[in-house]
Amino acid sequence: MKLAKTCAAIAATVLIATAATGCGTAGASGVVDTNADKGLAVLGDHVTYDPNHLVNDGQPIEIGYWSWGDASTDPVIGMLHEYEKIHPNVTVKISQVAWSDYWVKTPLSLKGNKNAPVLFNVHNSQDALLRPHMEAYDIDTADLEADYTNVDLHVVDGKIMYIDSVINTGNIYYNKTLWAEAGLTEDDIPATWDEFVEVAKKLTKFDGNKMIQSGFNMNGDGRYDGLWQGLNYQRGALMFSKDGTVANYDCEATKENLEFLRDLYETDKVSSVKFGDNSEQSFGNGQSAMIYAWGALQGTLETKYPDIDYGVFPTPTFSDDVPFAYDRYNGESTPGINVHQSEEQRAVAQDFIRFLLAGDDYVRSAVKLQNSFPGKKSLQDDSEILSNPVMAAIKPRLDRLIWPGPVPSTLESSPKIAFQNVIQNGQDIDTAVATAQAQIETDMKGSDFVSLESKYAHIDEAQ
Amino acid sequence: MHNTTLQRIFSMRNIAVVALVGYFAVFMAYPIIKAFAGSMHNWNPLTDTYQWVGFENYAQVLTDSLFWKSIWNTAVYSFFSVAFRVIVGLALALLLTSKLVKAKSALRGLFYMPTITPLVAVSFVWMWMYDPQFGMIDKVTGLDIGWLNDSHWAMPAVIIMTIWKDFGYATVLYMAGIMSLPTDVYEAASLDGAGKWQTFWKITLPLLRPTTLLIVITSLITYLQAYIQILVMTGGGPGTDTYTISYLIYDQAFTKYNFGVASAMSVILFVLTGVLTLLMFKASGDKLEESR
Repeated sequence: MKLAKTCAAIAATVLIATAATGCGTAGASGVVDTNADKGLAVLGDHVTYDPNHLVNDGQPIEIGYWSWGDASTDPVIGMLHEYEKIHPNVTVKISQVAWSDYWVKTPLSLKGNKNAPVLFNVHNSQDALLRPHMEAYDIDTADLEADYTNVDLHVVDGKIMYIDSVINTGNIYYNKTLWAEAGLTEDDIPATWDEFVEVAKKLTKFDGNKMIQSGFNMNGDGRYDGLWQGLNYQRGALMFSKDGTVANYDCEATKENLEFLRDLYETDKVSSVKFGDNSEQSFGNGQSAMIYAWGALQGTLETKYPDIDYGVFPTPTFSDDVPFAYDRYNGESTPGINVHQSEEQRAVAQDFIRFLLAGDDYVRSAVKLQNSFPGKKSLQDDSEILSNPVMAAIKPRLDRLIWPGPVPSTLESSPKIAFQNVIQNGQDIDTAVATAQAQIETDMKGSDFVSLESKYAHIDEAQ
Repeated sequence: MHNTTLQRIFSMRNIAVVALVGYFAVFMAYPIIKAFAGSMHNWNPLTDTYQWVGFENYAQVLTDSLFWKSIWNTAVYSFFSVAFRVIVGLALALLLTSKLVKAKSALRGLFYMPTITPLVAVSFVWMWMYDPQFGMIDKVTGLDIGWLNDSHWAMPAVIIMTIWKDFGYATVLYMAGIMSLPTDVYEAASLDGAGKWQTFWKITLPLLRPTTLLIVITSLITYLQAYIQILVMTGGGPGTDTYTISYLIYDQAFTKYNFGVASAMSVILFVLTGVLTLLMFKASGDKLEESR
């Protein structure tokens, strides 16, 4: 009796453990599709997609898609549902993984795990982790180049694993209500940093010695770690050495820019270290009049601070001359295909990628959800898209935005520490910059990263 | 006969022992051995990198000024957090076990509540309370301090939050200790004419030494591994002023994916924690011997 109970307990434990490890098989639950003629038009100019065919011979098939976003932030999800409507035999299993876990779970899962996604969301900053598990797009490079900008930057060994669906860069967001209260009009929008400082002074308020309204708030994540790159590019300084392998943070341009920013806090007094550590929140609460931010802020403002009346203008420059580059840009990447999955699943994934890139819907959706400028050339003059102030600010500068490649994160985290050491801890600029440079070099030891700055159209103008 | 043998093999005791050994082997021994091995390699499991480098990671760690700064920050954080946890916990336990206070159970529950609240949630709440623009602390006190952005105040601010969250644990343990103290010793002290202050220093405190040792050692082990509050409240800043050793390990492993260096740091922390614990046991054991 006891033995029977023990055996039953062991059997139950084994069953529970088996269930907990989730080693069931991923079955395909879709229907059989026998209708190749969908009655739909062929999409695209150069990259084309004819929906009037059967995928996987019409047999049911399931593919997984992983993303850190949801349907309100990731435009691929909506397109996957559209694809399922056209090809009802395809079932897409969408999984959302939090950003903080995504970059550990995804590469580990992709390595030959049959439950791993066939398609997955890509961020180019994690290129080194994902690239070994990606299959090249089965689309002619010339066709992609004809339809999308900056495709050449994503060609590695003749292969393309992803491109930019949309691109973004930093701009200055300003509170229109505070702007009007200070007696400023649209004509006061500054073109140079000197003009900007004067405007920021007018927008700053004190109660005795205590700042109660910041003219320009640089505190917190996503400010200096992004802006330093733009400021250096404006002065013609590259992020990396000419061969693209050694970081060039410890340079005169960095020091001059840090001095300029420190003056905003100490001399011009338009910023304050006592003004919290979240400038985005402060702007949303109407306590800061201007901040430097990328397009994602627009979505944050719409959802979290819908009452803020704001405008956007292009980041100022140091003079009226056209700089080497106005800022760096970054792209939102198209999805990756898992090279380790079955041939049938990868074929469906390739078909979906072609569907995604041939039409306009995906990029239009990305523009809207990610508040970013279209990478698709045919949409770059679209009046509806350009009615968005962020797109209007980016459009005239498109040719003077530079992408240094999928830069290691230390190029943002180490300068951020240098900035805090100078602004908050009173460290001298030379020491702070040298320490950050040393940290970057330590972190990049063994990295095979090579900058793409040399591919920038105006590289010959660099210092 | 056959059944009896099987019954002996599959007895609850054996199953429990095997389960425990299995648990420790999988979740304790294997990760520790893996970390030791990993510390000798250039290791990134996300890219399948695993190259033998010998003691190179240790050399890099031990010559890194940020590592030593993090060790110092951890020592400061641990010392003050442990000290105030003991002092505040003991003081409140004495108060709650005295005749001065009513509603003891309610207060005990109230004081213990922060201890069982998730650290992430507490860290976020305190971060907002410290905010110089809308936070309660500056508003109530009339101060103008950017607590978490000020190099002088960031670490004390995190320590204050930690003490608030954790003192309830010490209070409950001390209350249990005080309530189990032998009453005859106090009666004898009273007959000998000992005052309250003398009774506390000469009787209560020495008799509570095992409880204090337990609190100090468990607190020390916890605080040497502190990183969640740092991650949420300061991100190690301003600059690197609140980097703790565990935060640095987290940063190396999960931001920079440098698991080899992170493992070397973990091994050093492991040794450090072991040595400190042994020293405490030794010192406390000597004192107990002296008092006998």
